[in-house]
Amino acid sequence: MPVLALIEPNEELSLQALSLARDLGQPIHAFAVGEAHVELGAYGVQTVHVAEDERLSAYAPAAWAACLEQLIDRIEPTAVVAAGTSRGNEVLGHLAARRNLPFAANCIAVGSEGTVTRVRWGGSLLEEARIDSELKILSVAPHMVEATTVNGGVANVETVQANLDDGEFVVRVIEHAETRSAGISLAEAKVVISGGRGVGSADGFGMLEELAGLLNAAVGCSRVVTMAGWRPHTDQVGQTGTKVAPDLYIACGISGATQHIAGCKGAKKILAINSDAEAPILASADYAVIGDLAEVVPAITAELRKAQSS
Amino acid sequence: MLAAALAVSGTLFARRAKLLVALVRLGKPVERFDNVPERVKNEAVIVLGQRKLLQRLVPGLIHAAIFWGFLVLFPTIVMAMIGAVDKEATLPWLGHQGWFAFMIDLFAVMVLAGVIGAAIIRKIQRPARFEGSHLGEADLILALIAGIVTTLLLWHASRIALGLNEWPEGASPVSNALSGLFGDGDVTQVLERVFVWAHILIILSFLAYLPHSKHLHIATAAFNVYFARTRARGRLEPLRFDVPEEEMRFGAGTAPDLTWKQTLDTFSCTECGRCQDVCPAWATGKELSPKLLIMALRDQVFEEGPKLIRGEDGFEPSPLVPNAVTDNVVWDCVTCGACVRECPVSIEHVDHIIDLRRHLVMMDSSFPAESEQMLRDVERASNPWGKPQTERADWAAELGVRVLEPGEPAPEVLYWVGCAASFDERARTAAESTAKLLKAAGVDFAILGPRESCTGDPARRIGNEYLFQAHAEQNVSTLNEAGVTKIVASCPHCFNTLGNEYPDFGGNYEVVHHSELLADLMRDGRLEPASGNDQTITYHDSCYLARHNDVKADPRAIVEAVGMPIEMERREERTFCCGAGGAHMWMEERAGAINEERVREAADTGAETLAVACPFCTVMLDDGVKARGDELRVVDVSTLLAESLDAAGDDSSRLGGPLPD
Amino acid sequence: MRILVCVKRVPLTGGKMVLTADEQALETRHLGFTISPHEECGVEEAVRLVEHHGGEVTVLTLGPAEAEEQIRDSLANGGDRGVHLVTGGEEWDPQATAAAVVETVQEEEAAGGGFDLIVFGNESADAGNYQVGIRAAYALGRPIATGLKGLSVEDGRARCEQEVPGGRDIYELPLPAVVSVLEGINLPRYPSVPAKLRARSKPVESRSPERPAPKLEKLRLVVPPGQGKQAEILGNGPEAAPAVVDVMRDLGVT
Repeated sequence: MPVLALIEPNEELSLQALSLARDLGQPIHAFAVGEAHVELGAYGVQTVHVAEDERLSAYAPAAWAACLEQLIDRIEPTAVVAAGTSRGNEVLGHLAARRNLPFAANCIAVGSEGTVTRVRWGGSLLEEARIDSELKILSVAPHMVEATTVNGGVANVETVQANLDDGEFVVRVIEHAETRSAGISLAEAKVVISGGRGVGSADGFGMLEELAGLLNAAVGCSRVVTMAGWRPHTDQVGQTGTKVAPDLYIACGISGATQHIAGCKGAKKILAINSDAEAPILASADYAVIGDLAEVVPAITAELRKAQSS
Repeated sequence: MLAAALAVSGTLFARRAKLLVALVRLGKPVERFDNVPERVKNEAVIVLGQRKLLQRLVPGLIHAAIFWGFLVLFPTIVMAMIGAVDKEATLPWLGHQGWFAFMIDLFAVMVLAGVIGAAIIRKIQRPARFEGSHLGEADLILALIAGIVTTLLLWHASRIALGLNEWPEGASPVSNALSGLFGDGDVTQVLERVFVWAHILIILSFLAYLPHSKHLHIATAAFNVYFARTRARGRLEPLRFDVPEEEMRFGAGTAPDLTWKQTLDTFSCTECGRCQDVCPAWATGKELSPKLLIMALRDQVFEEGPKLIRGEDGFEPSPLVPNAVTDNVVWDCVTCGACVRECPVSIEHVDHIIDLRRHLVMMDSSFPAESEQMLRDVERASNPWGKPQTERADWAAELGVRVLEPGEPAPEVLYWVGCAASFDERARTAAESTAKLLKAAGVDFAILGPRESCTGDPARRIGNEYLFQAHAEQNVSTLNEAGVTKIVASCPHCFNTLGNEYPDFGGNYEVVHHSELLADLMRDGRLEPASGNDQTITYHDSCYLARHNDVKADPRAIVEAVGMPIEMERREERTFCCGAGGAHMWMEERAGAINEERVREAADTGAETLAVACPFCTVMLDDGVKARGDELRVVDVSTLLAESLDAAGDDSSRLGGPLPD
Repeated sequence: MRILVCVKRVPLTGGKMVLTADEQALETRHLGFTISPHEECGVEEAVRLVEHHGGEVTVLTLGPAEAEEQIRDSLANGGDRGVHLVTGGEEWDPQATAAAVVETVQEEEAAGGGFDLIVFGNESADAGNYQVGIRAAYALGRPIATGLKGLSVEDGRARCEQEVPGGRDIYELPLPAVVSVLEGINLPRYPSVPAKLRARSKPVESRSPERPAPKLEKLRLVVPPGQGKQAEILGNGPEAAPAVVDVMRDLGVT
């Protein structure tokens, strides 16, 4: 029973989605726009269908969904899968709307008889649900399923001649504005140091930035901080902000409300620095230092300097 | 000629007085006509008795001398006027009394001594509290006063020299002595007339000048003291929100939004600066000075009020913030009330600040950005920490504290834990200690747990009266339904709000602070601390306990029982704020640190322990100790008592054991 | 301009997730409630557009009787009128929600004219299904741009901005259109008290739609394992610094 997977360019999360796709059936057909991805064979993909239409040079969700539709008619998969990225969820949402089928977003596991386990509250709660249709449309929650390789060969590549109406391109990226961002972005950083209410003021972030400088880290913050106007919303880590997945996430003076944890649970390891030994964040963290962050953070910075210079 | 002079002076005075009355009447209504016996008592004690002025002994005595002098010497004004018209006449009976002549001499000299004392203070000592005051006006007034009594004494002296004194000569030693300066010839005749007319004219000019200067307080102070608050100091006046659209104007945005009492306050300010001297914001380099605040409001009333009275076409009064005072002035205040306590003429600065805040917050949505989260949390999560109410009783889980469920009968005393102790790890210890102590003493108590929501104090103090009232009504409903009659609160802000402010919303309970209840239990022998403890402890009075509510002795009883107390200079009702009041727990502090200033004072006592009785004080002073690096342990009195009981090791008071029957 | 904004009442959960005994919902006794964050920004965005261009903002919610609180809050923040689709408290799946919204839109447009813009939150804080807005857009035959961090309207067209790695992607949609927004597109205002008082008497209509059988059927909720795990305490205060640096070395970040 074939499965169709949407592959986004340069997207590690699409590879995670393939792991779940393999649990749903085979062979795996992948759909991509523009570039062929022959290396996908290592992840279990049998055929990559590449759509070529010059109108597709800019992202247009309805057009992508229309391509998927045409592939569905041809391949007759049992499931359509994508990563739960903004684009993945958007395209599958379009697909589900067009076909009037249910769509389960951000799943982490599939069960028997069309059941899935999906994520609520950004990951702080799970839902077991049943998708009540022949064709199961679902996206895979980012950073919760590992991308794993199999002993596949090289994938076939087929070009797709999609019959796309101009109407599918009404919503299409017409312009891309570059933003000059100082330093490393939250989404890319290997280390993220975040400050919460405990930092006390906008100036208080200076010590976090100093430590970040030594680690080539990005500085983030909790929602309380953006509401107080100490940092811009682009720095906010959380369910309604940016979701990060660094190797190390250091949470300073952050109590650990679920909506913040939702933004950093993708991290490999979480270190909490908090004066309250009973703060909820300790239940989500791997390591903790109990103390006043105004003392602890500079101490770490000093220790790190020593270590780096020796 | 006298008639003419009187007419001129009288008219000038009357016209100005009429304007002043009209300006006061521009203000919004406020109920200050109740409680007459208390008000009369205040007049006697504060005005006649000069009690608040005497809080500073030397300047107080100086002013008392001048003030009492004026009271006693008042008949001499009439006597002078009679004497100006008819050289030989005087007041019937009184003018002939030797004892009165003596009193005149005595008080005239006292007044003169007072003026000289005041001049020394102002010109030589130059205290900081006069920074920003109009010293020139004060100098002129002192000169006029000196002139009045000097001309009086000289007039009497010259009358004695001329043999015109209607009183027994020996009765007035000073005038007598001065009379030696004058012969009994023509020169003295002329001088006698000069002195009496000079005396009268100075008085009449003084009268005309008075309502144009800060000396206006002579007329207004007595009224201001009479109309001052008589109800609990910690209680703020509620607003009504069930009003029609046209009346939806809350707080003081422009000069006519002030209440008439607030306007009268600004007319009563003598610019003495005592309030400025004790203000913790001013002391730490901030913009706020209560004196300058009142002066600025007064100036705006005078600037715009007359235009409003005249009904000038299209004139719109301008916003008090920023035209009279800046934002910083409004937000710097910690509502500690030190200014109100100091003020000799019963100005209520905190009420001005709160009403300015009410307008900014409720009408303009203008307040420090970092406080918005607190307001949203109080509104939506029912506590300023934004933590779920479900976790409110978590601290008590292992202590076996009873949580009162709906429908259950009320305990003898309800322990109102407060948001700080429920959610902040440093404040939590006091609640744990208090619970253990109450259990050890066998008190029948329970907590509300998740049904206890914020009393609304931070919302009220930041100016969001609407949000406060929503919480007050909800809490009163919960408490009344549960049949609660007695409450013990750990947090002085909760204690103040529950006891002093909730009655306005139908909540009438006997409310005590935990230090009061614990001290009672100690006195009753139900809690026995260990003896022989020699830790040195200095106790910091919380503003909302000591100054707003007179709770000072009970916490000290606990401190004395568990260690060796060392007092700070600024204590009891003269205490210096920790810096968290007025919703400052949720504001950044701009410039200087009030908490560090207080910790400095505590550290200077040399004590090892800094005892507190308030969760805000605990956090603020602990922060201050950390910032300064002092070796001071900040701890609540309940925890000190609990530790002492543990040390006593007596089975019957062992903590954590089974609840005694 | 006529704008419709959809909002949802969600609980404020704090640090722990606690379920009802039947595992069908969160235990919300003693929890506070709010408008889902993306939608709160949606209301603010709609109100700002109407303040700029003139017009009216209608606020729509599908939820229990208590959800009126969220409508009134939205009206206090500048909304003009509300429509409350009252449920018995049970959860509606996204297809059913979208269908109810579409039906209401069609009724409202027949009565009062078309909506130039319909605004959704990108996903609700609780269920996070990411699809109600898209479904509604298709049913109404209108274009939709999602996940917006910037929105402006001029000459019958909506300029829509998304944040993407490296910068912003811009779309332009002809009106009438549908958008879904993200928190951060604006900072919602704090309402004045007169605005809150006035909101109490702004018109809110109620309807009670029938709930269709769900196609995405919730079986039960599960608290993820690992909630309540204990962090390894590396130390107290600044003396923990060397231990922290060791961990960093082990992780290869320094």
